Amino acid sequence: MAYAAGRVNGDRAGSLLAVRGVTKRFLGLVAVSDVSFTVARGEIVGIIGPNGSGKTTLLSVIAGMVPPSDGAVLWKGEAIHRLRPDVIAARGLVKTFQNPQVFAELSVFDNVLVASHLALKHARGGHRALTLVGIDGRAGRGLAERVRELLALCELTRAADQPAGNLSYGEEKMLGLAMALMCEPELLLLDEPASGLGHEEVDRLTAVLRRLHDTGTTLCIVDHKVGFLRGLAARVIALNYGRKVAEGRPDEVLNDPAVVEAYLGRAHA
Amino acid sequence: MLSLVAGQVLNGAIVGSMYGIIALGITLTFGITGIVNFALGEFMMIGAYATFALAERGGLPYPVAVVPAALIAAAAGYVCNKAFFRFTRGNLVNGLLVSIGLISVFESAVLWYWSATPIEMHYVLPGALRLGDVSLPKMKLLVFAVIVVVIALTYAALAGTWLGRASFAYAQNAEAATLMGVHTERLVTAVMLYSTGLAGLGGALYASLYSLEPSLGGVYVLKGMEAAILGGIGSLMGSLWGGVILGVIEAVGSIFLPTAFRDAYGLAVLVAILLFRPAGLFGDES
Amino acid sequence: MLTIFIYTFLSGILAVTFDLIFGFTGQLSMFHPAVFGLSAYVTHLLVLHARLPFWLATLPAAAAAVALAIVVGSICFKFRLKTFYFAVVTLAFAEMLRLIIVNWNSVTNGTLGLVVSGKPTIWWPGTGLVAIRGPVAWYYLTLAALGATVLICARVLASWMGRAFGAIRLNEDLARTLGINVFRYKLVSFAIGNALASFAGGLYGYYTGYIDPGYLSINQSMEVLAMVLLGGQGTLTGPVVGSFVLTALPHVIDLRAEARAILYGAILIFTILVMPRGVVGTLRAWRMRRAA
Repeated sequence: MAYAAGRVNGDRAGSLLAVRGVTKRFLGLVAVSDVSFTVARGEIVGIIGPNGSGKTTLLSVIAGMVPPSDGAVLWKGEAIHRLRPDVIAARGLVKTFQNPQVFAELSVFDNVLVASHLALKHARGGHRALTLVGIDGRAGRGLAERVRELLALCELTRAADQPAGNLSYGEEKMLGLAMALMCEPELLLLDEPASGLGHEEVDRLTAVLRRLHDTGTTLCIVDHKVGFLRGLAARVIALNYGRKVAEGRPDEVLNDPAVVEAYLGRAHA
Repeated sequence: MLSLVAGQVLNGAIVGSMYGIIALGITLTFGITGIVNFALGEFMMIGAYATFALAERGGLPYPVAVVPAALIAAAAGYVCNKAFFRFTRGNLVNGLLVSIGLISVFESAVLWYWSATPIEMHYVLPGALRLGDVSLPKMKLLVFAVIVVVIALTYAALAGTWLGRASFAYAQNAEAATLMGVHTERLVTAVMLYSTGLAGLGGALYASLYSLEPSLGGVYVLKGMEAAILGGIGSLMGSLWGGVILGVIEAVGSIFLPTAFRDAYGLAVLVAILLFRPAGLFGDES
Repeated sequence: MLTIFIYTFLSGILAVTFDLIFGFTGQLSMFHPAVFGLSAYVTHLLVLHARLPFWLATLPAAAAAVALAIVVGSICFKFRLKTFYFAVVTLAFAEMLRLIIVNWNSVTNGTLGLVVSGKPTIWWPGTGLVAIRGPVAWYYLTLAALGATVLICARVLASWMGRAFGAIRLNEDLARTLGINVFRYKLVSFAIGNALASFAGGLYGYYTGYIDPGYLSINQSMEVLAMVLLGGQGTLTGPVVGSFVLTALPHVIDLRAEARAILYGAILIFTILVMPRGVVGTLRAWRMRRAA
């Protein structure tokens, strides 16, 4: 995949995200080894691999939670691998969690409202300090609208006033997704969004993700539910033991002997 | 000049060993149960006053009075554990706050009974050793020796025995330890008993050297915490080293800078350490 | 009788601002009394030596408080100190400040403290400078000060900034992934809390007529903590309620100082174990359960 280097705002036709030779070592264990790939705007890219193949670590590095031992991560041409997670999120690269992270004590509505921090920043910029003294009530109302929209999209409207701690696992995952969406991501990194979900929930999730894609959000999905990814992703990358072993269209990758061996050769939960 | 510095260093080390024994209590409690016992200084104070009561009022010779005094402090610790800390296991901030409340209770109770007037024990072991130009009171050396031995024995006991290894297992992962058959509630109680007993012992030793005031607990717990952090929370020998280093810094600092700010030197070093090496000098970097 | 309210309002300012940092943003700061004491000294010394009117002197005091808070806060938050360590470091800084004040005899009169004999003067439109004299005037002044404090805190907490504080308290790491600059907002909360608390310092000194290093002591920290915990952390009315109860208590139950201190400690322990949400918090939770 050709990748356009340089311009700070990126190139419409070029890549949004470029991962270059990323390696991550933890005390002697190599979790990710020399992984490189790019994601272009508007794509849906999937990353598959058995448990322990380094998928989650790779996402953590990309999102800035963990620095890489080697290599670089570029967002719209700029290196982001040394930046804080909140700065990266502010630039449009948002990640969800495999085990949903929510504010259990707050209501579902409030959870998404808290996530509106970035949205407000994008909308009002430096002037949002003025909202403190009540100068712009419109911003507040607009946010509440958006929260309700997202809750509806993620089928959480009924649970809106419940404390997030009361939700079922599937609902929590959708809440995590709603919160990530509230951050207005240009590229959404999804860490095993389908894991732990029942059949119906997976279908719902797929529908939501397709709608997102249709409205312009780029997606990069990590999962080991192959069927789920095959239905969504245009391009798939396969990892095994921290290395990239295959890349291409879903059918190609899934039939690649290295990938087959990775999945069959190891027992995975 | 050199002898002045040397003398101060030695004095500082001895005072520091007392910080160290409190630090050991703090590090044990925090490392194993996650609770920070701000009230540990109060148990030291209890031990000190108990020693006074037993020796001066009760007529027991000092060496005999020390052990019961430490036990009294440990008993008080046991009661507090069962009555209060037991309910704050899951919530560390609450445990911290409870211990802060206990400070008020203990200090005021002792203040009420004994008043703020400093009280002193009679000379326990007169005489001093001379090392060149430096003169060190024998009692101070004895106190130092006792503390070092106690801390070393604690270290040996924990590193070597089943109880010790169980403690570390619990510290690493409470749930897993429970599954492995470590009786956690008993373990936590044991740690509480021991740490408060240690503090009481420290107090008993303190009583032989200095005059007693109800507020000594507050001073020593802060020093103990500084020493524990300095040496590295979770490191047993580190608490001794942290205490000694703190004591020496304070003593030497007082030579060159105003004595009035003695307490500040240790604090400044502590802040610096916390910022640049949060694990402490001997702590675990992970 | 009015004195109880006046003290309640003054301590209430301290308690509410402490709750902003502790109950709402989740940081256990032992630095609060330091700002309280510092601003008391600065305000009074400026009035005494620079002949500034009281209300004007509170501004540099507040500025000093904010500056110090920013320095201490930056150090603590930059290095991401967790609960216990944060408490110890803020305590260390407060103690250092107290030691400076205790020892700077020429300026602060050390442990003896300063006697404040003037009356604070407030600039009132129409009449110019008015001296605050008598319990009624004090009552309204302190009530206004508390009201202003609560209003400001309420405004901040109801806004997006307040939401950020809450997120930081509940789950810092999650807050970070949602784009919240945790360092910045911890610092802002710390600065606002300390800045507002500084206003209580000058007033308190004038009302009691006496300023001493005890303003910055750990005991002061414990009193504020007790008020907030008893009343209800994480609420705005809670600290005021707690302040009222603990201020009124010695007037209702006549106890000697030591017994009172024991009582405070016991209340603190009791509150944490039995009513961790404090009076106001427990009432609210009870009301919500009834409505459900």
